[in-house]
Amino acid sequence: MKPAKILRIARWELTKNAGGVDRRTLGVVAVAVVLLVAVAPVVAFSGVGLDDELYRVGISEESEFAPVVAEDNTFAVVDDATVQDLESGQIDLYLADTAVHRSDSEKGAAAYEEFRDSVATYNEQQLRQEPNHSAAFPVEVIVAFEEQTGSAVIVGAPDGEEPLPEQDQDDADDGQPADEQQEPSGDEEDEGQPAADEDTDTDEALTEETDEDLPADEADDGDPEAPEPSDGQELEEEDEQTGPLAEFLGPLSEDGLTGSPADITPPFPFQSLVLAFLFVIPLNFVIQAYGSTILSERINRRGELLLVTPVSRTDIIAGKTLPYFVGAMALQAVLAVGAVWLLRGELGGFISVLALTPLVLLFLGSTFLGAMFARSFKELTFVTVTITVSLTSYAFIPAIFSDIDPIALISPLTLVVRDLQNETIALSEFLFSAGPPTLVALVFFTLGAGLYREEDMFDQRSMSGKICDSLVGPITSKWHVGLVTVMLIPFVLVTQLVAVATFFALGELAIVLLFVVVAVTEELAKTFHIYAAYEHNRFERTAKSAVVLGTISGAAFFLIEIAILVFQLIGFTELEIGEALLLFSGVITGPTEVVLLLPPLALHVATAVIGAFGAFRSKRTYIVAVSLAMLVHLVYNLSVVMLFV
Amino acid sequence: MIAARELRKEYGEFVAVEGSSFSVAKGEVFGVIGPNGAGKTTTLKMLAGLLEPTSGTATVAGFDAQNTEMRSRLGFLPEESPLYEEMTALSYLQFFADLYDVPTAVAQERIHETLDELGLDHRERQIGDMSKGMKRKVAIARSLINDPEVLIYDEPASGLDPLTTNYIIDFTAQLAADGKTIIFSAHNLFHVESICDRVAIMHNGAIIANGDLDTLQEEYGTTRYRVYTTVEVPNSVQENGQYCRTVESMSAVERTREAAEQAGGVVTDIRTDESSLEDVFLNIAEAEAKQ
Repeated sequence: MKPAKILRIARWELTKNAGGVDRRTLGVVAVAVVLLVAVAPVVAFSGVGLDDELYRVGISEESEFAPVVAEDNTFAVVDDATVQDLESGQIDLYLADTAVHRSDSEKGAAAYEEFRDSVATYNEQQLRQEPNHSAAFPVEVIVAFEEQTGSAVIVGAPDGEEPLPEQDQDDADDGQPADEQQEPSGDEEDEGQPAADEDTDTDEALTEETDEDLPADEADDGDPEAPEPSDGQELEEEDEQTGPLAEFLGPLSEDGLTGSPADITPPFPFQSLVLAFLFVIPLNFVIQAYGSTILSERINRRGELLLVTPVSRTDIIAGKTLPYFVGAMALQAVLAVGAVWLLRGELGGFISVLALTPLVLLFLGSTFLGAMFARSFKELTFVTVTITVSLTSYAFIPAIFSDIDPIALISPLTLVVRDLQNETIALSEFLFSAGPPTLVALVFFTLGAGLYREEDMFDQRSMSGKICDSLVGPITSKWHVGLVTVMLIPFVLVTQLVAVATFFALGELAIVLLFVVVAVTEELAKTFHIYAAYEHNRFERTAKSAVVLGTISGAAFFLIEIAILVFQLIGFTELEIGEALLLFSGVITGPTEVVLLLPPLALHVATAVIGAFGAFRSKRTYIVAVSLAMLVHLVYNLSVVMLFV
Repeated sequence: MIAARELRKEYGEFVAVEGSSFSVAKGEVFGVIGPNGAGKTTTLKMLAGLLEPTSGTATVAGFDAQNTEMRSRLGFLPEESPLYEEMTALSYLQFFADLYDVPTAVAQERIHETLDELGLDHRERQIGDMSKGMKRKVAIARSLINDPEVLIYDEPASGLDPLTTNYIIDFTAQLAADGKTIIFSAHNLFHVESICDRVAIMHNGAIIANGDLDTLQEEYGTTRYRVYTTVEVPNSVQENGQYCRTVESMSAVERTREAAEQAGGVVTDIRTDESSLEDVFLNIAEAEAKQ
């Protein structure tokens, strides 16, 4: 690779369209950006105010509702209005001393409903400002969200009638009502405060006092038996959220909430959702531009002349990709650092940026390969939508549940969410999350690069034909079949992990479904490139060559079993479904029992040979043979489960 | 300077080029002609390193055609000019100059010099706004940006108006005069005939004839005699007050003279017409079709 050439192509990629935008357009864009930057914070913090002064209100001088109207911008006070003005339509509501009159119109009814909500909100605020919470909220429920361990979430009440979390039982033993424990009363309160309350500071209405008077570290000191957040995941003790948006987003980790019964809501991980959304969405815009530029090289043979320059295709691809990679990373870095600052009021987010790198690579890699497959912008649209949906699902959905289940770690975004929540991330967790997508991205780039040549770039072969081309590209000898098999292992791995995340809630059915996915993905990964190689006349179509190629591919694939061993190192097998995934490899009883590795080796070789036998004859026989191989694989896996579980 | 040995290119079952062998000496202009689908473009792309031969070898300027180093010594002009239309001519040419490691000062001088020679004035205009002929000139300028030893031009004047076509053909002839080695394909055989030293005729992926124009004419061409008489003879046409009969042998000329004398007239003139390249090509193509 020649860095100078890569940078020159990257510069060209950035500037080639500059001539198409005149100065006036640039000026308009610049002004728009400046306005957007200026207006965005105002909108973010104060809202757009679309319903400001929507309803006109008359108020008598003696009305008790005056403070409610003053607090709500929805209402505009009409001076010197009387109740008679309701009929003329000059006002929508008239607030007498203690009574509310409304006009006989739809708007009057809407104004009345709005006013009732405003009164409720106002009353709630007033109650929360009461120094004596027991008086304000005679009944209070504490909800503590626990890490999932297979049992239901424990919900306790302060009067001891219901089971309490361990730390709360200690509190109950003290005979103190929970509401009193929240009173700002110094060190005593630290002892009685549930550890789960550490993160409730952002909910102003609920825990304003504890935010100031109950630092998280002190709470931990006072409650040594507070549960660990999760296996191997330790919350940073100084888990304070003091950034500008901390209150808006709620607690970083919803370990617990206190408040009135009206405050009880399902434990929806709102913040994880927002954070995951924040990082994934911009990537979808980047890949649109990236996919277009790659495909535009292929339309009308535009990229042909680059291929006759003394620049390797690797350099061309790297140069064209670099601006989008740097741009996406810069965007993600700004978002990560900004999110840390907004939520925690400090600079940080380095780990987040590091964790986002494989995700950016995966988006770009899959888009690159997709753009090499697509024959038109119409097809590219289909491809990018598919990529957007699949990768967003892969990255986004697990990350939402980053606080709930270790399966969430299959997405690098989970690392980001946890980093932003100031949790410690183990190296093994990082590798588990970031490794497979990085490898898959590299595989995608490699396969796409195999198509970045005159013969494949400009022809109009179907997508399936292009997939065959990309797989066959690296195969020039029988040993390369094994190499391609190994290349496909990360892709298989990620597919199976996504399947785990998708099916894990389905119990025993999940295991069967997972094994179906395992059989399908692994048999295709072992034999599809063999079929493609035969189609491209890379090998003689004989039974002998099929046996040789199948054996090489099956043996190479067996390496995936070693990769799966890595899962065990991070506790993945503690999940029932994770255990099931590992069973077929024969390593469940320990990696030292090498003999148990032989059956899966034999399985992979046998099924790959079955697939190869079909591949060397025709497309139809390949479909039949690979289906048979999948069936054998599935039966084997289910048999192992039935015999050993 | 260019050598192809048993070049073969297959696309699945289809054989695009079948065992082509030829060589081009330094400073020579070598034409490749043939009907559509004959394998001309595939052959040129294998020489340019764009396509990998299924078998056989191609060397250009002493390098294997697949060697990246070879590309520094080559200027390639494909049949279509796929330019980056959002760029200006100057920025486009400078970009390629950078890829060829041409120093900026040298590149700027070369760009302006070449565009001057090609008569392209609107250099700051976006390529997308240029006419087809202007785009072709930009493409030619790009092929010369690295001052290559070897030029491979595939249909350089395809689809252009006669004026621009002549300009480009003359420019190509000038490049040949400057010592460039040129391999050149065209459908317009007159252009090939006018600037090429040697010609290969391709048909169905194979080279069916290869040599200088005289040799090809001798081998595949025919000589025609136009016999002018004062009286009408069989198969004659009236032309400028005389009668003209075209025959293909001296014995036929003799028979025409006897016929004219029997009719009371005389032969006033006998002219010889040598076969053009087009005639040669048509003769060969016809013979191939019969086979």
